[in-house]
Parts: sequence; C-alpha cells; structure tokens
Amino acid sequence: MANWRFKEIVVMAALAVVFGVVYLAFLPLGGVLVGFFGPIGYDLIFGIWFIVSIIAAYIIQKPGAAFLSETIAAMVEVLIGNAIGPMLIVTGMVQGLGAEAAFAATRWKNYSVWVLMAAGVGSAVTSFIYGYFMSGYAALAPGYVTAMFIVRMISGALIAGLLGKALSDGLAKTGVLSSFALGKEYRKKHAA
Amino acid sequence: MRPFVDVRSLRLRFETGEKDILSNINFQLHDGESVLLLGPSGSGKSTLTSCLNGLFPRELDGEMEGDIFIDGKKTIDYRPGELSKQVGVVFQDPETQFCMLNVEDEVAFGLENIGVPFEEMEEKIEDALELVDMQDYKESAIATLSGGQKQKLALACILALKPSLLILDEPTANLDPIATKDLIETIKNLREKIKFGLVIIEHKLDDWTDLAERCLLLNREGEIFNDSLLRTAIRNNRSQLVEQGIWLPKVAQFFLKDNPDQMELPLTVEEFAAYPSRFAFVAEKRISRNSSESGISILETRNIAWSARKRDIIKDVSLSIYEGEFIAIVGANGSGKTTLSRILSGIQKPASGSISLKGKALKEWKESLLRQEIGYVFQNPEHQFITNTVYDEVAFSLKMKNEPAETIREKVYEILDTFGLLELKNEHPFSLSQGQKRRLSVATMIVDGQSFLLLDEPTFGQDAQSNAELMRLLQQRHERGATILMITHDMEIVDQYASRVVVMNNGEVVADCTPESLWDKEAKNLKAWQLELPVSVQIKKIHEEEAYYVSTTS
Amino acid sequence: MFLQRLNPSLKALTIMLFVVLLAMIFDPITPLLFLIWTVSITFLFGKVAWKKYTLYFIPFLIFAFGMLWTTIIFADTPTNKDDSITLFGMTYPRESLLTALALSLRVLNVAALSLLFIFTTNIVHFILSLMQQLRLPPKIAYAVLAGYRFLPMMRDEIKIIHDAHRVRGVNQAKTIKEKWENYKRYSIPLLASSIRKAERTAMAMESKGFTGEKNRTFYRQFSIKKTDWIFPLIMLLGFSAAVIVSLEMGYLKLFS
Repeated sequence: MANWRFKEIVVMAALAVVFGVVYLAFLPLGGVLVGFFGPIGYDLIFGIWFIVSIIAAYIIQKPGAAFLSETIAAMVEVLIGNAIGPMLIVTGMVQGLGAEAAFAATRWKNYSVWVLMAAGVGSAVTSFIYGYFMSGYAALAPGYVTAMFIVRMISGALIAGLLGKALSDGLAKTGVLSSFALGKEYRKKHAA
Repeated sequence: MRPFVDVRSLRLRFETGEKDILSNINFQLHDGESVLLLGPSGSGKSTLTSCLNGLFPRELDGEMEGDIFIDGKKTIDYRPGELSKQVGVVFQDPETQFCMLNVEDEVAFGLENIGVPFEEMEEKIEDALELVDMQDYKESAIATLSGGQKQKLALACILALKPSLLILDEPTANLDPIATKDLIETIKNLREKIKFGLVIIEHKLDDWTDLAERCLLLNREGEIFNDSLLRTAIRNNRSQLVEQGIWLPKVAQFFLKDNPDQMELPLTVEEFAAYPSRFAFVAEKRISRNSSESGISILETRNIAWSARKRDIIKDVSLSIYEGEFIAIVGANGSGKTTLSRILSGIQKPASGSISLKGKALKEWKESLLRQEIGYVFQNPEHQFITNTVYDEVAFSLKMKNEPAETIREKVYEILDTFGLLELKNEHPFSLSQGQKRRLSVATMIVDGQSFLLLDEPTFGQDAQSNAELMRLLQQRHERGATILMITHDMEIVDQYASRVVVMNNGEVVADCTPESLWDKEAKNLKAWQLELPVSVQIKKIHEEEAYYVSTTS
Repeated sequence: MFLQRLNPSLKALTIMLFVVLLAMIFDPITPLLFLIWTVSITFLFGKVAWKKYTLYFIPFLIFAFGMLWTTIIFADTPTNKDDSITLFGMTYPRESLLTALALSLRVLNVAALSLLFIFTTNIVHFILSLMQQLRLPPKIAYAVLAGYRFLPMMRDEIKIIHDAHRVRGVNQAKTIKEKWENYKRYSIPLLASSIRKAERTAMAMESKGFTGEKNRTFYRQFSIKKTDWIFPLIMLLGFSAAVIVSLEMGYLKLFS
C-alpha cells in the first residue's frame, strides 16, 4: 500500500460512490430486463459495473489501479446498501483482475482507447467465468450462454471502455485532474 | 528564545504552474504567538498551510526549496503523521473534513492515528468536545450538525491531538454571520483555557482583529510584503491591501469611503464607540438608488406554501414584485430564503398558492419562454456550467434559440467584455477563479435579455475585489431596468444597493420594507431574526448618542 | 439479538462460504430447505422488521422468476428427454424444470443470506472489523468510509445540478440522444466535485495524523469471541441437514 497516495484511494472511493448511485438507478431496469430476457438482460448493462476501474486506471495510470479501484467500489456498494451483500467484494476483485490484466499486458504503458476497451472486455471475461460457476450458467444451453458472454463483452467494451474514456477526458478538460497522470498529460498536450 | 516556527527562504512551485506559488518566504513565530495571514485568493495561503503541517513536500507535485523548522526540527525530518501532534489545521469546507459518521468516532479517528491507547480515548474525546462546547453532541451523527457545529467539531478533533500551533484556514468562509461569530467566540474562549499558537488565514478581517495583532500579508506573487502590526499595515500598506482584495474591517472601510486620507482607522465598532471623536466622520452619501416606483408588477404570489419532510418551509407567503426593484431577501439559515427564491423563479412548484408572471400563471408558461424572462444564479456557479469553454457557456442559450451565428458572436463578445471575461473565452469554465466563475454564471443568466434576475448568495466566499466587481455589474444591470432579487447575509450590501428588503423567519415574511425602515425596527426583533445592523447605521447611532450626550452634559 | 452482536467479519465470511457451497448444488430441494433455514435464523436471532425485509426481498423474487422461465426455455439439452412433467398445459423435460427451480431457489437463498448480513450489521463496524480481523489496509478502509459520507451530499448535488441545468434551458430532452447528452452534462460537474471533495478530505485526514500505517489503536475494538463460532456451526448444521434430506429423497445433484 505504500506506493499509493491516500488521495488517490479516496478519489477511487468517491468515484465508486458516484457510479454506485448510477448503478442503483439502473438496478430496477436490470431487474425488468432479466424478467423479460432472462440473465442476458443483465449482461446488456453489465459494463457499468466495470466503469470505475477503467476510469481510475486511466486517470491514475499506475499498476494496480484497476484492481484496487474495483475492489474499493465493491466495498462502497456494500456500504450504500447494494443488496448483494459481502459476496460483492469478491465479485469486485474478480472484475478488477480482468481489467488489470489488460493494462498489465501493455506493462501499464498504454492507455489508448483500444486498451481501455480491452480492459472492459477483460472484466467481462473474468466476471463471466465467475458468474458461470456462481450462478450456474452451466445448466443453460451453450448457445444462450455464448450469447450472454458476447453481450457482456460488448457491454464491457462500450459502457466501461468507451464511456469511461469519454467521461475521463471530459473531466481532464475541467482541470480537476491536475494532480493525476491524465490531467498532467492533458495539460502537456494543451500547452504544446 | 528559539522560535516555534521558523520558515527560511521558502519557495514553492507546482508542476503544473508557470510561476512560483510561494517565493522567498521568511518568518518566525514564537510559542503561543498569534498571527493573521492575509492575502487574495490564489496567493498561496493554503499552500503555505500544507508546508507548515508537513504535507508538502511529501504530497507535492512540484518543487519546494528552503527550510521550515517546527520546534527546532525540520518538517521533512518528522515521520509522516508525527507533525499532527505539533500543528493542527481547521480547513474551510465543513463538509470535507470528516471520514466517520458520528461525532465521537471522528474525534477518536485522530487519537487512533497518533496511537493513543484505547483506555485514554473516552476521556480525551469528552475533554476536546467540552472545549468547543459540543459535549452534548457526542453521539450525534455528523450529517445532522449545522455548518457552524461541523467547524467546531473539526476544531475539537484537532484540539484532541493537543497541537502547539493551530492553523485556521478560512474556517468561516462557508458560514453565515451568526455561525462565524460563534466560532470566533469559541476560539477566543479557548485562548483563555489552553495555550497554543494561532495562524489565522482569512480575507475578511472582521471579528478576528482582537485575536491577533501581528499580520503577515501575501501578494498574488506569493511573497510576504508586510510583517507588522495589523494597525501599522493598514496605515502603511492600505492601498496594497485593497489592491490585493483583502477585506478591511467594515468599520475601517466605512471611514475610508469618506476620508481616504485618514491614517488611523478604527478596526471594530467598539473601538470607534470608545472614542468617536477621534475619527473624522462625514454623514454618508449613499448611492442614489433608483426607487422602484415603476408600479408595474411583474411577479405576484398569493398564499404560497411548501413543506418538506413534514416540516413547513414556506408558510403562506404573498408578495408582489415590481419592475425595476432591487430586492434583498435576508434571514437566518433555514428560514426559507432559498426555497422562496426557487419558488419565485419557477424551479420549485409550491405545494399550494398561486404565482403569476406578467399576469399569466407561472405553470402556464412554457419552460423555454420562462427562462427568457427569469434568470437564476445558483449558490455554486459550477452547478450551472454545461459546456467546455467560457464562450460556449454564454452562447448556449442563444444557440438553443437558433439565432444567427453573427448575432450570437456579437452578443457574447459584448457580455464577456463587460464581465471582464473576454480574454478567458477559450478556457474551461471550471478552471476559472471563484470570482470569475461567479461572473460567468451571472453572464449566462442575462445574455438572453432576462429582465428578472434572482441570485442565491452571490457574494459568498469571495474576496473583496471580486465582490465589488460583481456588485458593480449588478448595479449596472439594475440601472438599465432589470429587476434584481438576491439572497444575502451581508447587511452592507442590503444597505447600499437594495430598494426593498424582505425578511424571512421560519418560513414567513416578517418584514417587507425599505432598508432604512428595517434598521429602525426594534433591536429585539432584529436579534430574533438574526440580523445585525450595517456598520454605517451602527456608527450613525453611536454618533447620535454621542451628540445627545454632548448636548445634554454641556 | 445474537446476530447483531456477532463479529461482522466472521459473519461475512460465513455468508460467503455458504454462497460458494450453494454454487455447487444443482437440485431444488437443498436450496429450498436451506432458504427456509436462513430466513428462520434471520428472524429468530436478529431483530429484523419483516415489512422492510419483504420489501427488499421482492426484487429478488422477480429476478428469480425471470431466471426460472428462461432457464426452462434456454436449458441445456437434457440427458433424459422422455422424462417429462406437464405444468399449466405444457410439457417440460423433468430435468430442465428441476434445474430451473434449483437455480431460482439458489438466487433466493443467496438473497436471504445477503439480507441476513445487511439487516443485522452496522456497516461502519463491518469495515472497522475488516481492518482488525482480516488485515484490510487502513488506507482502503478509511477511504471507503470517507467515500460513504459523500453519498447524501451527492444525492443533493444531483438534484441541484438537475435544477441548475433546467434553468439554463437544457433538459427538455426528447430523443434518446439528447437524453444521453444531458446525462453526460450532469456527470462531469458531479464527478469533478466529488474528486475535489475527495482530495480535500484526504488532505484533512492526513493533517490529523493519518498515515495508513497498520499499528493504530482503535476506539471501537472488535474481536472474535468463542461464542461467535456458534453462527457458522448453526449454518453448517442447517446446510448439512438440507443436503442429507435432499440425498434421502433422491434429488441431490452436485455440479451440472
């Protein structure tokens, strides 16, 4: 923990609260979608779960940011009353690992849009494997499971990767990220 | 004697900045000494705080030169966290100083950090809370405390660590006048109970003047340009003070208006009252107000009421607002001022009662047309910004109306020029200074020719210069016929600018008159409504008493 | 009241253990029996308001129902096609129906376990206990607590931003694209202000001597008492019983 500034960690928690609220707003929608389409309904909006880790990793650009932020986000979710309970922390860690893997593959050097989308897909993959065991997808027809998997990966790439990038870039423009990697980068480009 | 704080040739620059935020800072503080640290916003006052409590250079993105000794030891030689036993800081924002949910846990947090054994905590927590007179709130949730109470709690958290030096970093900037007085009173009482050094960072001097005599002045370049007694500083460096946007005490300001050359100025009303004859006094020539007798009513409310969480916020309010008025809404926090202004502007629908604008019920107005009539400036300007540049921000509503590009450009340039924002037209609204943000938010609300402008505490937390600039712009707008309604705690503004003042108390309008007649109301009423007289009126009253005294004794 | 006084970390670990165990069960009888057991324990040993409990439980019922019918429809091809059950005039393979029931009941059982935790645990104590029993780094623990404090502020702020934008003449979004633009406009100020709040809070906490070191003292101390182990034992008892009954009835099915 020593190489993390406390400020960075509190920022992760704050981001988690914002998206926690967003997520809770989407939860009823998810319920309705599942009612109609079965588990795949959730997969459509699943990417919103990963967005914190993408944004945190992109803003802070340090090894471990994606994993740590998603873990923190899960703890915050437990606190703000997400009814999935303590198990959610494990879920968060699993998702964070997926995104972290994508950044690790570039040795935490590349934060381009493709890598961010890949990180979203990475979270989708690990979370799907986890879900496969915990929710018993094994009992479903392989075709349906494949469809769920694909939908979740797309959601991860678009909602987490693309939207996460758009929001982070929007934030960089405001100047509030001046003490984080992304803000510094933006400033350099802007000055040049 | 070795000084407790010794700052030597401190220079600091942020990685992102082009210039030094602090340069060539040298000063010493002795044990138990108090000092006022004054400077305009952006002069590096808060940065200096971070240097003194050891957060910088550890947490600094940038470079820092020079040495700071606390109690004879360099700040960089203290272990992280250790310095908190020597130097404690109360920050500006009451909302962001806590991490626990209730009062006792929050005080305990600091004690846990410095490793106080469990057995000793209870007593220390109670002692600290008692020092700030908050012992009854030990088990309260922090969220239920008022802003003033939160600041007192922040103070208690620091006091529990028993620091030798207390830094107050604009602790009253977000408090109303009553809470401000209470906090300052609390600190005064503390001085009698325990010994500690005090650094007061402020840009408003009122009420602090008798806590510290010595005063350090920082300019925009981050240099100390004065280290003397406050009185001497005001005598010798008055023009710089004003130029740097530091608020002189209201009494001093008042005298300066009529006697710009006067050397000795009273700093408090009490000081003036003790020797009124020492200070030359000229009856005030007030700004000629355009009286509001246009007689054309633009907004009418009948018996409006609103409640939230089973509490009546607004009870049976009927008001008529006439074209060309400059109305101030005043009253204690929680008296319903903001809610009333939101209802008047159509943001909030009243639970009962009717409102009509220009003879047509507010609810029958089309939202987009309504917004061309009424502008509303929120307390935090950032909340209203929706685009990425200052230019787009002002152009936004015009673009929505599909006006031709050339007209838009012309209008926007004109407004930006008037508001002193033209050079910043490509900047992001969030990156502006506090004063610029405020001006921009007003600009966006009048660009469409809105003739009725409501403002929620527009002068809150700004330095003197930004404030004067803003009031000048509003005055100008008013002279051109705009109707202005603003919520404020600042009675000087009410006295100088308002043509009419509406006093709210517990959701009701308890007075609706000219400022002059408000000042003539009984003292016990004003006290109940938590209003204080503007300095000019206080002084006038003292003079009248003096004259009476002189005339009856001679 | 025994559940409220239980060490929060131990309670959480127990819950998690049984969620994992449930994931291995693919027959409907075990989760059904264990569901009844879990709910009974919740009401017997925890002072839980049943109205609020029901309210929280309803979304899971809807979710479980969705799970039920989709699993029947999208089930993997059963090994024994001839064995079928007729329900509401439709014929389903017996195996698919049982699996679908098993998965839906699992959802409900997991929900019941989570609600047991949520309704009987002070979450601040949970975080403090994670630090004391499970060595959660203080930096993370206090950041999470600080973040939690932002929640009501952000709720208020969302409302204010909404109104403030309305005054600017946005918000009359009709198409999905416009709505999307509006959401983006909301989120930037909201995120910006939460980042600033976070920075200020971190600074205030550090200036009170917070370093993130593990050797801190605690005003609220948590420990695992011997009696706390009764809870995992009771749960294990219930779970074993459910498995045995299911086995005796010839339903028990591990994995798929």
